[in-house]
Amino acid sequence: MSLPYRYYDVRRVTGEVTQIDIDNGVIEAAGTSFTDLALIRVLGPVGWGVLSVNGDRIPGDTLPLSLLKEALLAAKITNGAISIIEGKCRVLSVPKPKEDPRDTDLGEKTEILLEMERHAKLPDIVNTRVNYVERTGTVTFFNSSDNRFTYDICRCGFGILAVASRNGVTQIGYERRHTIDGLNIRHQQDLALQAGTIARDLLEAQPAKGGIAHAVLDPELAGVFAHEAVGHAAEGDLVQEGSSVFAGRIGERVGSPVISITDDPTLHNFGFCPVDDEGRETKRTGIIRSGVLSAYLHSMESMAALGEDTGILGHARGMAGEVPIVRMSNTFIENGDADYDEIIRECRNGILLKGSRGGQVDPGRGVFQFNAEYGYLIQDGECTTMVRDVSLSGDILGTLHQVMLCGNDQKLHAGFCGKNGQTAAVSDGAPHILLKDAVIGGSSLD
Amino acid sequence: MIEDLFAEAAGKADEVEVCIGEGQEIRADMRRGEITIGSASRFSGIMIRTVNDGRIGISSSDSPKRWKECLYAAIAGGNLADKQNWEGLPKDAGTLRSNTRLAFDPDLNVSSDCLKNLISGMITGSKEHDAAITSAHASLSSGTVTLANSGGLFLTEPTTHVSTSIEMIQGQSTGYEHDASWELRRIDPIAVGKTASWYASAGERGVELDTGTYDIVLSPDALSQLLDAVLVPALSGRNVHAGRSALADRIGDQICGEKIQLYDDPLDPRGSANGYWDGEGVPVRRIDLIRDGILQQFAYDLRTAYRYGKETTASAVRTGMAGSPGIGFHNLILNGPAGSVYKEDAVFIRDVVGAHTANPMSGDFSVELSSPFFIRDGELSQPIRSAMLSGNVFSLLNQVLCVSKETRTRGNMILPTVLIADQTLIGKA
Repeated sequence: MSLPYRYYDVRRVTGEVTQIDIDNGVIEAAGTSFTDLALIRVLGPVGWGVLSVNGDRIPGDTLPLSLLKEALLAAKITNGAISIIEGKCRVLSVPKPKEDPRDTDLGEKTEILLEMERHAKLPDIVNTRVNYVERTGTVTFFNSSDNRFTYDICRCGFGILAVASRNGVTQIGYERRHTIDGLNIRHQQDLALQAGTIARDLLEAQPAKGGIAHAVLDPELAGVFAHEAVGHAAEGDLVQEGSSVFAGRIGERVGSPVISITDDPTLHNFGFCPVDDEGRETKRTGIIRSGVLSAYLHSMESMAALGEDTGILGHARGMAGEVPIVRMSNTFIENGDADYDEIIRECRNGILLKGSRGGQVDPGRGVFQFNAEYGYLIQDGECTTMVRDVSLSGDILGTLHQVMLCGNDQKLHAGFCGKNGQTAAVSDGAPHILLKDAVIGGSSLD
Repeated sequence: MIEDLFAEAAGKADEVEVCIGEGQEIRADMRRGEITIGSASRFSGIMIRTVNDGRIGISSSDSPKRWKECLYAAIAGGNLADKQNWEGLPKDAGTLRSNTRLAFDPDLNVSSDCLKNLISGMITGSKEHDAAITSAHASLSSGTVTLANSGGLFLTEPTTHVSTSIEMIQGQSTGYEHDASWELRRIDPIAVGKTASWYASAGERGVELDTGTYDIVLSPDALSQLLDAVLVPALSGRNVHAGRSALADRIGDQICGEKIQLYDDPLDPRGSANGYWDGEGVPVRRIDLIRDGILQQFAYDLRTAYRYGKETTASAVRTGMAGSPGIGFHNLILNGPAGSVYKEDAVFIRDVVGAHTANPMSGDFSVELSSPFFIRDGELSQPIRSAMLSGNVFSLLNQVLCVSKETRTRGNMILPTVLIADQTLIGKA
């Protein structure tokens, strides 16, 4: 009996997660957990059927008939016709880590982290905390088109928090580094010192004033801008469902000619994907080219719905046991030709925003918000007073036109992005950029 | 299997605790008004905690069959952890248990017919106002959670869960609504669809707002996000003793308006994950955190209580089916002076964008508003295109003028709509 499916794929992820938590010099937890989950997707006569099970139910690289039938049963509820474009399957090689974290035992890692944490303990610092996480995993994929592959990848990194308190004022400094390059916790004492120093300096900083002002974004915050304000709105699934202000605008000018924004899963940064989670080849994708919207990020389904000429396939990612959805990888604003001094000079009076405490976007309304760790007032072309608790919001289309200058000092920062309850490893980056008439959030008013 | 685990651990750890969750879920996801994905999952998880000479180790897996690997990983991790004062896992579950189920609905069938009813209800409701569905979902699940320890504690409870959400758009105005419960009868899918379509439809043609000071009305959605980012971590005993809470030295102080009450009641049936015990098997009770505006106490689990010479408040919660226990709340309930919250000229805020970027130490935040409206004649009237709210979560609670009688359950919080005086809104006019 032939079963009524048009396509299926199976993705099994087996791996270990090692975590260390040191709080004020006390080793709170150090241990390893184990995961083995499989996701079976089948495209039935109408829509998708998805079955999530423990990985040990997938023996080797064949899909048991009973699981295929169960997934098809789940698809019976669908009434929205789905098509897909399969594209090409190609797996890039995963770079070998410089120092494989698995070669260093848990005890030694803990000692290194304890030593790192001590460097954040400056006067006025009342709490320090270091977290380390290491995820090693093997991804096994096969589908009904006879594509099959297996690869291993390890992502690891740490965060260090310092809390400063004096006269009833409490502030935080936080630094983190995550990578696919291998163990990265050695010789990070300066970073710990930086977390402590920022927390202390913020005790003296002034609350930011809210209102409209010119803003210079440092590479980390400008990277969050690229991710939140542009990357999410370019995700093909959101465009497909009508939840993006970029819908129907391919080829249109959406921003200043100085700005180009790219998502590149092939780069060996934290968001690196050797292949996407639908088994499709990953490619550098120019989302905005000199202010013109050029490409959406696509899954097999969103490309079929929106057309092959609307973007690039290979951007679907899913957590272990979860449905792959369209995600960013390494997203960045391309270098321009302005240097940092020119950007500050050109701003003249405004605010320099540094670091990131994260952000969020409503891509349908086209509204975003993100928060800097701290900032400096820019007065007469020079950085002056430090300010704290400063954020920036705006509408995507308006703000992209307000980018006046792009610097030539691009840097990428590793982080994590949440969407539909799933977390993905990503990196964001940019050079310094100058925004005209930005909406700055702060608790005091003129 | 649990007996085998305890036998294997004998002589290797002073105490062992195991939490096992198993169950099934079905789910339907819609895009543009049609169901495009039907999902089924059989989920399981195991979390093992060992205690040896005051050293705590944990390990977990999504397959309970791997209990032996987890056990030895927990013991190995515990050997590295620092020693702390430890006075034992609970030996029995007390006498709280009754036949009343607090998190299991026998009428909730994990069936595709029930799922279809939820979806068609949302679609019916969504047609009430002029807007299009962008995405929606409904899910149903049932399972069993078992908690046991080598001291003799053995608890096993069935659970059920139903969840719905819908996002709609009209022009560039979006509307969102969601609802979840352990009890099917508490979910009204038609109302969920209606609400989302109203916000999407009514939010069109918003006006700009002048920067200034306004009275604001926070919906339970907006309020829950701000409390979750700042107040919840500040009330954790662990953060208090670690120097990460702005409230650390404030027990007995008036920290908000004198009619404000904040308490955790794990037995309130409106909650979404109630139970007679916390995540460590300690019998729960109501905890008054803020009474008449005065800070009363912080939340503790066993680990933090033993370390700092306090008593556990039965505030250990587990994330997911069998996550590790940590300090949290079961049903955090805010109450205040009852009154009419829809004050003339106040700004209603349905939700906020970016609450997680708040400064958890100082309480300062700046967030973008979702679905803001001016209030006229006691109703949401003129939509506002966009604006930011900047303020401080601790100060907000000092400026509450009144709260609504009606509450909504949002995650682990049960909250009213709240009218708050004199807040800074930054407009783009």
